[in-house]
Amino acid sequence: MKRYLFIVSRSPYGSSVVLEQLETAMVAAAFDGDVAILLRDDGVWNLQQHQSGDALERQTLAKVLSGLPSYEIDRLYVCASSLQMRNVTIDQHLGFEAVDYPAQQALIRNSDVVIGGQP
Amino acid sequence: MIYALAVHGAPYSSNAAEHAIGFAEALLACGHQIERVFFFHEGVYHSLNSHVPPQTRYNVNLARRWQSLHNGGIELAVCIASGIKRGVVNETEQERYDLPSDTLSKTFELVGLGQLIGAIATADRYVEFPA
Repeated sequence: MKRYLFIVSRSPYGSSVVLEQLETAMVAAAFDGDVAILLRDDGVWNLQQHQSGDALERQTLAKVLSGLPSYEIDRLYVCASSLQMRNVTIDQHLGFEAVDYPAQQALIRNSDVVIGGQP
Repeated sequence: MIYALAVHGAPYSSNAAEHAIGFAEALLACGHQIERVFFFHEGVYHSLNSHVPPQTRYNVNLARRWQSLHNGGIELAVCIASGIKRGVVNETEQERYDLPSDTLSKTFELVGLGQLIGAIATADRYVEFPA
């Protein structure tokens, strides 16, 4: 079984990239992968409280994130520094743990595959 | 080593393909294997059957270079979800959605996301070429 780390660094509604990354993560988990997700840079906006994709006729990304544990994806992390820089108020119910740079380095080091780190 | 590659950038607007093709050719020249090249996000546009290379980019015919890799036995797999929403359809999808023609080049095939994960799971290295 491979250990996957998906790094999400895009904002939720500027493109379809985040949704497609999360779909890939779900497929990896469905194929017995051990999957972790790290939100960083503008990716932390995906955790913003009270967001709604309805106005854009898009899926609400926070809802997609809230469904990850049902795919057995429960190693969920967010970059503490990216959060602080953007002053994002995260939805605590989503269960993401804020981690510092050394912890992120360890996450990357302990993964077999790192996917989608582009800013 | 066995490699899995993914291309995310569209032809002639991103350099993703030039880098991916050059990397793939170098891998083969060094005796490595390529499990699959997966086209995702806007990378799916590479698989359209209607490309005309721009005259300003002389000597760069991406379709021909992909064809050459394909002729060498490399599987070129296009994400079906990313593809059909951008107008990339094979004969089956053309009929399903009642579209005027198929648009997928014969060099490529439409596959599910599982084929990306399958390639990564098999490969020793996964390399992504972003937009």
